[in-house]
Amino acid sequence: MGTYIARRLLQSILVMLGVTLLSFLTLHLAGDPTYLYVSERASEQEIIDTRQKLGFDRPLPVQYFDFLGRLLQGDLGTSLRARKPALELVMERLPATLELTLFAMFLSTILAIPIGIYSATKRGTPLDGGIMLFAMLGQSIPGFWLGIMLILSVGLGLRWLPISGHIPVIQPALEGDISTAISNVPNALLHLIMPGITVGVFSLSRNARLVRSSMLEVLSQDYIVTARSKGLAERRITFNHAFRNALIPVVTILGLEFGFLLSGVVVAETVFSWPGVGRLVFNAINQRDIPLVQASVVLFSLLFVMLNLIVDLLYAQLDPRIRLN
Amino acid sequence: MSRKSRFSLLFIVLLLVTMPMVIQAQTPDETTLVIAQSVDVGALEPALINSRAESNIFNHLYGTLFEISENGTLDPYLATSYTISEDGTEWTFTLNEGLTCHDGEPLTADDVVYSFQRAADPANAFTGNTAGFVFPSVGYVDARVDGDLEATIITDRAQSEPLRLGLLSEVYIHCQDYYSSITLEEAAENPVGSGPYRFVEWVRDDYVLIEKVPDYTLRTAGFDQIYWRVIPEASTRVAELIAGNVDIIANVPPDQVAAVDNSGSATVQAVSGTRRMYVGFQFGEAFADAPGYEAIQNTDVRVALQHAIDVPTICATLLGTDCERASSMVNPPNNNPELSPYTYDAAEAERLLDEAGYPRGENGVRFEITLMGPRGRYLNDANVVQAIGQYLTDVGVQTTVEILDWSSDYLPRVREKNVGPLFFLGSGGSTWSALYDMADLSAPTAGTNYTNWMNEEWFSLWDSTAGLDPAAEREVVNEMLEVFYNDPPWLLLYFQPDFYGVSNRIEWQARRDEQIVVYGATLK
Repeated sequence: MGTYIARRLLQSILVMLGVTLLSFLTLHLAGDPTYLYVSERASEQEIIDTRQKLGFDRPLPVQYFDFLGRLLQGDLGTSLRARKPALELVMERLPATLELTLFAMFLSTILAIPIGIYSATKRGTPLDGGIMLFAMLGQSIPGFWLGIMLILSVGLGLRWLPISGHIPVIQPALEGDISTAISNVPNALLHLIMPGITVGVFSLSRNARLVRSSMLEVLSQDYIVTARSKGLAERRITFNHAFRNALIPVVTILGLEFGFLLSGVVVAETVFSWPGVGRLVFNAINQRDIPLVQASVVLFSLLFVMLNLIVDLLYAQLDPRIRLN
Repeated sequence: MSRKSRFSLLFIVLLLVTMPMVIQAQTPDETTLVIAQSVDVGALEPALINSRAESNIFNHLYGTLFEISENGTLDPYLATSYTISEDGTEWTFTLNEGLTCHDGEPLTADDVVYSFQRAADPANAFTGNTAGFVFPSVGYVDARVDGDLEATIITDRAQSEPLRLGLLSEVYIHCQDYYSSITLEEAAENPVGSGPYRFVEWVRDDYVLIEKVPDYTLRTAGFDQIYWRVIPEASTRVAELIAGNVDIIANVPPDQVAAVDNSGSATVQAVSGTRRMYVGFQFGEAFADAPGYEAIQNTDVRVALQHAIDVPTICATLLGTDCERASSMVNPPNNNPELSPYTYDAAEAERLLDEAGYPRGENGVRFEITLMGPRGRYLNDANVVQAIGQYLTDVGVQTTVEILDWSSDYLPRVREKNVGPLFFLGSGGSTWSALYDMADLSAPTAGTNYTNWMNEEWFSLWDSTAGLDPAAEREVVNEMLEVFYNDPPWLLLYFQPDFYGVSNRIEWQARRDEQIVVYGATLK
């Protein structure tokens, strides 16, 4: 196990190096960032001066290795726009994104499992067909369209939910202001529903289909037939015998789901004016704020790589047939 | 009823009770104004301002020496008056008495000089509008204190009076004691200004909250507090406006104007902005081998093509409003009144092209050319470019349209003057100075002379404008605009319209210059 973890950690470092190099090159290949930092009437000399001030006049390898050198010392650079440490900016926004991601994950998991089980137990019925049709739709609907439709119908038409904005819970809690965090919860939940659905609907649909197919596979196993022949109640067979075994592939996906949802919040954060990391990165890319993009990429890839590792380890624990050699 | 069911029922009841309270709480009260813009400020540092969204907030936090009014006049603000040295290089401003910054520190000439010197200090590496545009434009050298209330700005050249005054009116004044006692990083988050509103709170990418400074006498603030919300998605901004949660929104998409107007809670104000939209004719030799390049070097061809584009129809169908075609590169009322906009007359365009030596060939084509344009920078830009390409093709100029991404591709090419032979572009203008609008073409090598136009008469007239009295300057400007009209480097289109959504509960008038200034906004 120790060798496996060491090997995976080494692979992770290589993956992260690759990610930083790719993102660095992509940002620089997309034109000279200096033009976004000067007035539209700037002269050639002003552009040259600004390029020098921003450090973009140095050769690309020098810029990249400078970044790596600082990274090894834990310094992810300073945002060109905000004049603030990039890491600090990302960490400031992380709580809002975590709230949205966790809520979306909660929605997609809590609903997907019963829907998938129910659909599997009603296989071939019109209800099963209907559920799977909605699952297909959920995977096909573009997030931005769904978000805007929710705003127009539920937010503006029915006036049931706030149209946009964010009420913080994790941030005040982290700052020790527990009473504010608790009193914000009801309002925060109302603000979370529409963006949460927008982020989570794809995962919800995919997970429901996954649970259904996994359940169907397990339900056709010999030991289930044996259980039925012993006269066990269908409910007990479903939950005590089939569900536990059907959960193994689902747990694998749920672990990766967090990373997937985290990377998919940009659209929802933009549509619902949610001040999270997704929008921060999106704006940083548009403004070619390279240190900020790099810091976000490093943190996100670290998070994703770690999640993958944890899932792999958990998978081995859940299913002893799987060996990590 | 089971315990689980009772719990579910209680939860639903609580949700239904709290929901309307939350929705109600979003509606601003009578002392609060809520404005939604599409982007946030990068930093709350006056020397880093680079976008209109940022300057809209800063215009309320910081005072300037003079102020550009909605009508384009330059009005005294922190300064009461100014004098100009004989050679035109030194401008001495006299400040109002008894000014203070928001922390109570008296605002004197020392602070004005400090504000200029801090922005110019290379150690601070500021890239904002002040250091990046204003200072090079006025030839800033230094500033000095000439008395308690007298500050002199030293430049390296004489310059048109309104042009320089307008440019200097973009420099935000702040107090020395506070800013010299904190780091740049601290300054970027804790602004202490000199305007009618002071900073309260900034939640990045969410909102900036500012509140009225009691007893501020230089400007009258209508609302006690202003929320500058950040709502990037246009549909969401519109929904918030219609729902009554926001009072003013910028950049209403033309296709949503009717929805706002029919909502009963808000209306759209469409104003003709100051941004000049045009198609540039490329004269740079880098394009000498490109199809159509040779044809557009001919003045008669460029004049003919002015008649080929139906600008009013483009405005009505693609921009959602009526607009007047531009007759020059200068915004009204500073343009030459003698010049009439070119009219749309395809037959006339064809006749002139025939006369210029470019008759239709057997395949109906006079010559081929490429028109480049951006996507995502200007109002409905890609569609406007497509329409222009079609109009040109209709008169026999077979036009290939190339649409490029703005920030990654088009902008760098424009800055490198590597667009053409035809290219679509917008250039920010002003209401306060003809020369400001004409400064795009201040020299053959000017960074903004994207067409590489080399009309000698124009540039020699430009050089003669420095230090002229207003009447003489007007005469030269009119002459220059006539030169531009008759030997056009631009295919003149329109002044880009701006759409503001305004709640019916407030009284506020949108300005032409893309600025959102709300001192005077009040409840109806």
